[in-house]
Amino acid sequence: MAVIETRQLGRRYGSRRGISGVSLQIEEGQIFGFLGPNGAGKTTTIRILLGFLKPGEGSAEILGMDCWKASHVIKRDVGYVAGDVRLYPWLSARRGLRIVGQIRNDDVMANGLLLAERFQLEPDLPVRKMSRGNRQKVALVLAMAHRPRVIILDEPTSGLDPLMQMTLMQCLREMAADGATILFSSHTLSEVEDLCDRVAMIRAGSVVVDETLISLKQRAPRTVIVRFCGHSEVSSVTWPGGVQLIGRSEDVAHLELTGESMPFLKWAASQPFADVTIETPSLETLFQAYYQPDSQLQSEVK
Amino acid sequence: MRGLLAKIFCEVRWSVFWFASGLFLIMGLLTALLPKVLGDIHRVFEKLSFVKPLLTALLGVDPGDQMTSTMSQAFLWVHPTVLTLMWAHEVMYCSRLPAGEVDRGTIDFLLGLPVSRWKLFIAETIGWLISGLVILASGYLGHLLASVYLQPEMRPPVLVTSFVMINLYALYLAVGGFAFLISSVSDRRGRAVGVIFAVLLISFLINFVAQFWDPLKSSGSVAAVPEGETAIADRLGAGSPVSELLMPGQPRGQNRDGDASWGLSTLGVLDHYRPAIIIQTGQFPWHDAGLLLGIAVVTWTAAGICLRRRSICTV
Repeated sequence: MAVIETRQLGRRYGSRRGISGVSLQIEEGQIFGFLGPNGAGKTTTIRILLGFLKPGEGSAEILGMDCWKASHVIKRDVGYVAGDVRLYPWLSARRGLRIVGQIRNDDVMANGLLLAERFQLEPDLPVRKMSRGNRQKVALVLAMAHRPRVIILDEPTSGLDPLMQMTLMQCLREMAADGATILFSSHTLSEVEDLCDRVAMIRAGSVVVDETLISLKQRAPRTVIVRFCGHSEVSSVTWPGGVQLIGRSEDVAHLELTGESMPFLKWAASQPFADVTIETPSLETLFQAYYQPDSQLQSEVK
Repeated sequence: MRGLLAKIFCEVRWSVFWFASGLFLIMGLLTALLPKVLGDIHRVFEKLSFVKPLLTALLGVDPGDQMTSTMSQAFLWVHPTVLTLMWAHEVMYCSRLPAGEVDRGTIDFLLGLPVSRWKLFIAETIGWLISGLVILASGYLGHLLASVYLQPEMRPPVLVTSFVMINLYALYLAVGGFAFLISSVSDRRGRAVGVIFAVLLISFLINFVAQFWDPLKSSGSVAAVPEGETAIADRLGAGSPVSELLMPGQPRGQNRDGDASWGLSTLGVLDHYRPAIIIQTGQFPWHDAGLLLGIAVVTWTAAGICLRRRSICTV
């Protein structure tokens, strides 16, 4: 059953484009990466899911309930951290946990203080005395303390140091293992690659990719470095399909390989190569193509 | 609801404390000083001609050339500092949700919690009602202490004072309801506060200008008379029980000159808050308080509906 589902979701800001035709399905226990450049529509989609914005067209549901009409009911099971965290200056982690606990009618203090300890957060320090990273930690603690079934994070690692980013990733993996569904929005590919099972990419308000990481990696191009036995032979080779020459210097050729590597290796065995190096699939290259305004690759995928 | 009220308490406790303390001091000081200052008011009227219309606009009746203790007591409750403190508090308070929360970005945290927008609004309203009572009670306490120890003649009967305070609270509700309405359609707190103050100022100016310009006059705008009674009769409209006593035979709904009793000055919010008349007649201002409460209910409900239906965006 899809825990989070949007169908042809659209929203405009007056004459400005917001999002259009966004359809997503996120299954229970999945860690779903939501990628896209700044202004692509990630936050708009998330705000519709949280009931902040009314969808202009289409529908959005979490746990089978309409995100606009049953927003407050849905949020009993949702933890949310905004991209640009703003909290009340007087709020401390402990005070926040007390207030959130009263509102949720649930004792979140014990779990919240454990999380605060994991994030190395002083529970009684007020927000006005905190750095940006620590404010981010308070927001994360308050969003996860009630062990939500659905966690929606909008660029949650901005402001966190690498150690805390790892702690967050570990927390999220543990929660997903316990059955929580996580929507993780980011514009940093590497953290999505580390964490997520499935990835959607939004660009100019529309979803251009929605696949598992495994299938994406199969499609992603790999860099291949070939060293020839002699200098003169570089130009005489006819490269097989799926291989593109992207550069050469003396006896070394740099190639981009798309698709399976075994057929290429079989072919390479019959060639006068001194050495062949195949690097791991580069999602970065694949996604950078989507970030470009006029990407050929993007139109191919479409 | 307990958590929301705790959050509101954490946010507004100091501002409410300072406003309450301020009103306590101001009311105490005014109670102690007004009889002395207003004793020689006729000299001020002679030198500064604009003062009398201003005073008339505030009081709703012509004070005449000599300020009686009744007028002094009434002036205490319409003193600009008192009104400014009350209004400043509620404009600051009522512009917090949603305009203030959207403006500073904290609405994301608030709306991320499992509470409906109506519940948020009701929690804010409870805080607004309680904080208004606290501030008003502090002002009354300052007035009471000063009148007991310093100026016994400034102490009207408790019942009459409570009528004035209820009328002032009704005014507080009307202004607050309107402030909530403006806030509920705004994303910028500064802009919301500006609009609310501008409307309050225009509303006050209507009252003031009505002293000079007949088309604006309602029954509350009266010609200068040496004593307050005839003015009060005019203010109430002929035919009302009190004016029947003061001006027998005048048809209801007309002032002494036979003009229609409702002019544009009715739009002035102070036209419905007249402590001078309450203190002199000793009667509860049913009409004014009811009208102000009506405005409060309509604007508050509209604000809640706007908040419930609108999309909220901090980016």
